[in-house]
Amino acid sequence: MTSIGTGYDLSNSVFSPDGRNFQVEYAVKAVENGATSIGIKCSDGVVFAVEKLITSKLLVPRKNVKIQTIDRHVGCVYSGIIPDGRYLVNKGREEASSFKSLYSRPIPVPSLADRMGQYVAAHTLYNSVRPFGITAIFGGIDSDGPHLYMLEPSGTCWGYKGAATGKGRQTAKAELEKILDKETELTTEEAIKQAAKVIYMAHEDNKDKDFELEISWCSLEGTKGLHKFVTGQQLEDAIEFAKKETSVADFNDSDDDEDDNNDANVSSDDEAVDRDGDINIE
Amino acid sequence: MNGIQVDINHLKKGEVSLGTSIMAVTFKDGVILGADSRTTTGAYIANRVTDKLTRVHDKIWCCRSGSAADTQAVADIVQYHLDLYTSNYGTPSTETAASIFKTICYENKDGLSAGIIVAGFDDKTKKGEVFSIPLGGSVHKQDYAIAGSGSAFIYGYCDKNYKHDMSKDETVNFMKHSLSQAIKWDGSSGGVIRMVVLTKEGVERLVFYPDEYENL
Amino acid sequence: MNHDPFSWGRPSDETYGAYDTKIAQAPAFPKMNTTQPIVTGTSVISMKYNNGVIIAADNLGSYGSLLRFTNVERLIPVGNSTVVGISGDISDMQHIEDLLEEMKTENNYDNSYVDDEEALKPSYVFEYLATVMYNRRSKMNPLWNAIIVAGMEDKKPFLRYVNLLGVTYSSPTLATGFGAHLALPLMRRVVDREDDIEKTTLEVAENTILESMKILYYRDARSSRKFSMAIIDNDQGLILKKGLQVENMSWEFAKNIRGYGTQKV
Repeated sequence: MTSIGTGYDLSNSVFSPDGRNFQVEYAVKAVENGATSIGIKCSDGVVFAVEKLITSKLLVPRKNVKIQTIDRHVGCVYSGIIPDGRYLVNKGREEASSFKSLYSRPIPVPSLADRMGQYVAAHTLYNSVRPFGITAIFGGIDSDGPHLYMLEPSGTCWGYKGAATGKGRQTAKAELEKILDKETELTTEEAIKQAAKVIYMAHEDNKDKDFELEISWCSLEGTKGLHKFVTGQQLEDAIEFAKKETSVADFNDSDDDEDDNNDANVSSDDEAVDRDGDINIE
Repeated sequence: MNGIQVDINHLKKGEVSLGTSIMAVTFKDGVILGADSRTTTGAYIANRVTDKLTRVHDKIWCCRSGSAADTQAVADIVQYHLDLYTSNYGTPSTETAASIFKTICYENKDGLSAGIIVAGFDDKTKKGEVFSIPLGGSVHKQDYAIAGSGSAFIYGYCDKNYKHDMSKDETVNFMKHSLSQAIKWDGSSGGVIRMVVLTKEGVERLVFYPDEYENL
Repeated sequence: MNHDPFSWGRPSDETYGAYDTKIAQAPAFPKMNTTQPIVTGTSVISMKYNNGVIIAADNLGSYGSLLRFTNVERLIPVGNSTVVGISGDISDMQHIEDLLEEMKTENNYDNSYVDDEEALKPSYVFEYLATVMYNRRSKMNPLWNAIIVAGMEDKKPFLRYVNLLGVTYSSPTLATGFGAHLALPLMRRVVDREDDIEKTTLEVAENTILESMKILYYRDARSSRKFSMAIIDNDQGLILKKGLQVENMSWEFAKNIRGYGTQKV
């Protein structure tokens, strides 16, 4: 069944007869075309990383930062329509600031996730607004330890050990599952390198485009619980590690790898066409 | 001219006032709040068995001094906030409770006459905490706090006799002596001495009658 | 000018006559705001030297003449090159602390250079506070404080004052409250003009501040022996010393004093 032309995809506050909100599903499409972002939860903090595609040679290298800080202990990265993400982060900052001014303690990350989730969900309920065209991965350290959440255009907000979104999410998720498939959690120091690797691997499908890697972290020891960017030698080391790992993977089992890549491509293409085969935005 | 004098001017004519002796003391196992039980309108005792120790959360209580109406209203609002906080984020810390009291007292400083001591026991850290919030709406974390008109007479006594990490019996004794002196010299304080003990065991109320505390 | 916090912001009696209290008891309009400080902190004193700046304030919160809170910290570091010293109402001081905390948080937003070229400098902190102070007085609802911002900026010492009226000024030596009467003349014996700063070492400046705190403890009835001192030095960075005490006081001469004039025994 195709729903195009039935009119159920025109308004946010109208269900289709089979119980779907098409505006939200189109917002998901916007995310699926965005650059890959990931988050990893560790024993001592969280790590965020994002693939920054170089859309023009005139862009100044290392400027135009993507990852944002919501409160001093909470970081956020997102894929999709970037200004939507900026807007959501501003809302998150307001919530964090008002919490602190009334209760004189930093907002617990789960409470922030709840408030941001409600705000995004509210944008699926009214026909005067459109849903957020982003999936945000955010988290940090509070008095209960590290937290990591992923917030989707529908307002769904779940906690994860590792989260990935954007174009390369299939590859990234598969890699994250391998990395996080252990009894003991990673430390943030290790996760920085792994995060770099995941982004480099997720970029393989998109190899013709140049990209920059951006990583940030919240670590009990490393950043005293604050959200900070990974810079300098630490960043160089992570990039070097990622480059080595990806080239080794290419070399070792090029056949398998090609298959993997193909699989990833096929599955992500499938996704892009449609899960059920009845949406088509072209 | 000083702050205390203006406080009295602030009370509208005929308003019921808790011209009070209140205190809260941390000790080894938690914290104890104490107060006299006198409420006056001018020189007339409107209530001789008042309860100035007010619950705002399971193990966060406050001692109220100043206008009875103002402090009851403030305590009620804080209780509401902490209820809401609990259902959203779990048990609040004493500091959070003090911060809500402060916000209300600071932002309405021109309309309120409320001097409040907030005391609570934190089940996580197993520690008692005391915050004093005087007239202007500032917050002061202290090992023990005294306030109200009667407190003026016992600054010296309390400073000399307070010790860190006392036992419960020592603490009750220290507070009984302190409040008995405050009541003795302050006309606006009197009646019975009430106490509330906050520890990991829970909440315990104590009452001491004049025949007992007058002859210590 | 009368530097007693209780007199700040009032029309002086010499000029306007005693205040007509009937005005204050008028009905709801005009609205009355903060009319007096309640818990107060006394002087803040500060001076520049050849490699930085020193600022000091005691740890007392007075409630009228009652020395009620003995552990109040009135020097607030902002980043690692600025210290804000606040005298006057303590509840308003705590409000200013919240504002500064918020300012730091907001400076962090989308700022990759917070630790370097976009770190908060003393002049930024000062300009912000001066704006807040002036806006509040213009709403007839002042923050009842006198504030000194001290720090290092572009390798030069920074020192500037703002009070509840929104008045601002700079000088190589600054003091609020009683300090303006008692400590300023002492500090000016060392640093009187801009070109004296170069001749003054950290050691000399520190001794001058300690000496001034001693004099203030002798003669300010709302002061305490315990105090804090911050040094913002070009080489050593920000050093905040807490829990200091006035030392080397002179009281022995009291034994030679008998009666009040002619009495000999």
